[in-house]
Amino acid sequence: MNTHTKYKHEALASGLVSAASTRWRFVLGLVTNRFCFVVLFIVTALLIAQYDPDSTAVAPPDRQEVVFWHFWGGRDRVVVEDVVRRFNDSQQEHFVRAIAMPGNNLDLKFFLSVAGGDPPDLLNQDDPVLADWAHRGLLMPLDEVADKATAEQIESWLFPPARRLGTYDGRLYGLCNGLDIRALYYDQTLLEEHELEPPETWEALNRINRVVSPPEQETIKQFGFLPDPRRLWAWGIVFGGQFYDETTGTVTADEVPVVGAMDWMRSFSKTYGADRVAAFRSGDQSLTGSASPLLQGRYAVVMDGQWRVREIVAAQDKARSSGNPVRQYGVAPLPSPPGGRENAGWVNGNFFVVPKGSRNPAGALAFMKFWSGFDGHEAEAAVTCAAGGWIPVSPHVVKQPSFERYLRGNPLFAKFVELAGSPNQVPWPVTPGATYFQREITRTCEDAMYRDDAPPSEVMLREAATRIRARLKERVAP
Amino acid sequence: MPRRKTVTALLFVSPWLVGLATLVLYPFAASLYWSFCRYDMVSDPQWIGTANYERLGDELLHGGQFAQALRNTCYYAGLSVPLSIVLGISLALMLSWKVRGQAIFRTLFFLPSVVPVVATAVLWTWLLDPTDGMVNHLLSAVGLPGGGWFNSHREVLSATDWSATISSLQSGRHALLPLGSKDALVLMSLWGVGNFMVIYLASIGDIPSQLYEAAELDGAGPLRRLRHVTLPMLSPVIFFNLVMGLIQAVQAFTQIYLVSDGQGGPAGSTMVLSLHLFLTAFKELDMGYASAMAWVLFVFVLLVTVALFRTSRHWVHYQGAAR
Amino acid sequence: MRRNRPNVLQYTALVMMAVLFAAPLVWMVLTSLKPETQITAAPHRVLPDEWRWDNYGEVFDSTPYVRYFRNSVLLCAGSVLGTLLSCSLVAYAFARLRWPGRDFLFGVMIATMLLPWQVTMIPRFLLLRELGLYNSLGALILPTFLGDAVFIFLLRQFYRSIPEQLAEAARLDGCGEWGVWRRIMLPLSAPALATVALFQFIAAWNDFGGPLLYLSDPEKFPLAYALEQYVSSYSSQIHLLLAASVMFTVPIVVLFFFTQKTFLRGIALGGVKG
Repeated sequence: MNTHTKYKHEALASGLVSAASTRWRFVLGLVTNRFCFVVLFIVTALLIAQYDPDSTAVAPPDRQEVVFWHFWGGRDRVVVEDVVRRFNDSQQEHFVRAIAMPGNNLDLKFFLSVAGGDPPDLLNQDDPVLADWAHRGLLMPLDEVADKATAEQIESWLFPPARRLGTYDGRLYGLCNGLDIRALYYDQTLLEEHELEPPETWEALNRINRVVSPPEQETIKQFGFLPDPRRLWAWGIVFGGQFYDETTGTVTADEVPVVGAMDWMRSFSKTYGADRVAAFRSGDQSLTGSASPLLQGRYAVVMDGQWRVREIVAAQDKARSSGNPVRQYGVAPLPSPPGGRENAGWVNGNFFVVPKGSRNPAGALAFMKFWSGFDGHEAEAAVTCAAGGWIPVSPHVVKQPSFERYLRGNPLFAKFVELAGSPNQVPWPVTPGATYFQREITRTCEDAMYRDDAPPSEVMLREAATRIRARLKERVAP
Repeated sequence: MPRRKTVTALLFVSPWLVGLATLVLYPFAASLYWSFCRYDMVSDPQWIGTANYERLGDELLHGGQFAQALRNTCYYAGLSVPLSIVLGISLALMLSWKVRGQAIFRTLFFLPSVVPVVATAVLWTWLLDPTDGMVNHLLSAVGLPGGGWFNSHREVLSATDWSATISSLQSGRHALLPLGSKDALVLMSLWGVGNFMVIYLASIGDIPSQLYEAAELDGAGPLRRLRHVTLPMLSPVIFFNLVMGLIQAVQAFTQIYLVSDGQGGPAGSTMVLSLHLFLTAFKELDMGYASAMAWVLFVFVLLVTVALFRTSRHWVHYQGAAR
Repeated sequence: MRRNRPNVLQYTALVMMAVLFAAPLVWMVLTSLKPETQITAAPHRVLPDEWRWDNYGEVFDSTPYVRYFRNSVLLCAGSVLGTLLSCSLVAYAFARLRWPGRDFLFGVMIATMLLPWQVTMIPRFLLLRELGLYNSLGALILPTFLGDAVFIFLLRQFYRSIPEQLAEAARLDGCGEWGVWRRIMLPLSAPALATVALFQFIAAWNDFGGPLLYLSDPEKFPLAYALEQYVSSYSSQIHLLLAASVMFTVPIVVLFFFTQKTFLRGIALGGVKG
């Protein structure tokens, strides 16, 4: 839209210029321009007339279509398309057409499609927008897509974090189809070289920096561990706090344990200098750096999600096959300070939602069950999860023989799956305004960690909490 | 026959009139109304009075997201517009030298502005990559540290950022130049200065040579001629480009959306007003607040334009009647 | 500006600047032909170790490029048609016809150029939704049939420079205003129309915000939007990204080379001293 202005304005300028002087050549200009136009027209006409698009798979006439939007791209998309194909092959009634909308704006596109009157039939999402959408009546709760009894069965079938992710106002709106859990990855080889213990205890974690990246060092090429400001969401929970009390609907982001967590994270900036920390972090996020900073040797310990396990295994295989020394890596749950919670952290996940205007909720339900494993599809789901490296959403899927075999072959991954059953894995608050909540907390922590002159944590969090409370109040208002 | 003439004329103008009513006046009025409401496009708007504007004022005073967006927009516009004018005129002057192969140079300078925005964003994100990009490689080849560019929230105009960098360098620690995301955006926009340059070039060509001859007879050297003949004669076009450039910079959306992946990062450093507005409307589903912001933006642009018009009397020199 | 013998300093300066401006493009093309492993390897080598034309093939295989290209062409053709039609009609009314309120409305039109698009983006969306145009290219093409202030302004200036006698002669021969417009104004304003067509084509080719808001069916995505989606999908495979970008840029650059004269002359529409 606004790219118009760029060209508009030079066109306008030429208008002014022509106004200023009245000379113009016309015969030569006419001839060349006409020729160009004619050529362009012919080419265009040919193109349009000739090209017959072969669209992606169209639903066979005897089946009902389910338009499914998701955000997976690249290699993940292949897995998704495989699941879709297996579903379509497994029954005759429905046909899922998967449309990929990669990038960060799937929720935006979804909202626009609802506002525009043409929503998809099923959507996969991982942003904290569930409550906002449910609150506005954009989604069908699962007890309407299926029925109350089925919805209750699903609720008890899911892992606690998976259930929490999809529940708003006591009803299940989203069916989780994969959990994302984070833990600490550590470079075991490196730690052993420095005679350090793995970061399974609080003391061990904090000692690592002193040895691997002593602050007095002039140039630090490798850090022991640096917390990511976005993960205050995890560390606040670990320290024993919570950001939002669901039962009372109050924002508790400024309570003491959370302040303690932020202070601990800031202590890293204070030790090394906010500047240095920020600069080192910037170096992590390069366009080509899809490989974990841990693998690149920038850190000894990194907090990351279960999807990195594949990369580690791939890197180890590569080293093995090219005859290089193989580095050993380990995974440890987030250690907690005294008074904190064990096996705690921030959990996120992908969840299916069915839009209000869905034309084929039955088909959507069938596909959701197939993917997540509910209602007899546990074995299939185990295959899907193993293929995609996803954490199943139900203990019933984990118990499947094929998945247990996968876990035995992937001990690092198994550690993540263990955490899925912990009640201390907490998602972002499921409340309208959650996006704002999430952005504000992250922003506050970023400011705290990257700016030397930021106010005390208590003050920053209190102000953030006040702002958040005001926003939430507006949002939840009828 | 005059009535028939009017009817005919109105028929001719009708497409634009329809456009005016539906795409300008109605949206104008609607967004003004919504700025006093809470509205999310799927349910009805609810009147809440001046609450949205109060929130804007509050965020402005207490450094909230709106204040940050406004500041980022001013930084970007304030840096890119003057630089593009200077660069545009410089290049145009260089192109009006009588050297061989002028047409080739002109094409080379103009070509980058023809490259589509999406491709430009991809290209420059890659070029300015802190570890693998060409720009940092070239900088280190001449012994300078690189910049954080799109991964850094630093600003080249910020004194605190420079002092932090200098103290890091002095104590021998590794540091990056405080060339951050907004500076990268400015650099990207300067690459496309060919648009502006061509306009200046055309205008330079229009300057009557008698003026230059007269100046030379008076003993003016090239620099003097530049200051007293070229620039004053160019001033209408400079003024025009200043106004249009400002409006463009304030509204800039696509490239910023692309390089920040629609997030306005890192750490909100590329969250400009247009992006903040867009996200507020369509991600936070707060059309009312977004409309209020759009209106504030509009008034801001209006005021700046009027101010520029007022000051133009002092330095813009029109040759004869403009229209 | 008066010396005729080539000045070495001037030449050097020009060459240096030209290199600075052209280098990113050259780099883009070269990198798009490199194998993936070379891109992040150090030391940096300018030329590809091997010329991987395959990269382009990979882009073709991984995304329905031709479909997106077709959508872009459709979008551009439609936009250009709409713009030319509406702007020339309206500009004629402003330039040569007398009617009440003409000058006032002309001022209003100039004022609308100051309007940031964010002010009208939400109501526009709702309006086009009411017309049933959500998720169709029509939402992007229809507004061009309603005129565009800048192009109208440009064409008006041009029309005013066409001698009135020609129109008078036509009227005396019995032509209505429509005939005058069709037979006299349109042909004579061909250079200006060419400029408008070209700028509108490029703007439509480039349009990202429009598809972002209005399109959700990948079958309808134009190249600009499809490229962004591609970048999000394959964000770590630079060689593919750059190859796709080059493919997106080449048609416009080719167009530019063919219409350079129009382009540059159009910008200096009054005629440059020569």
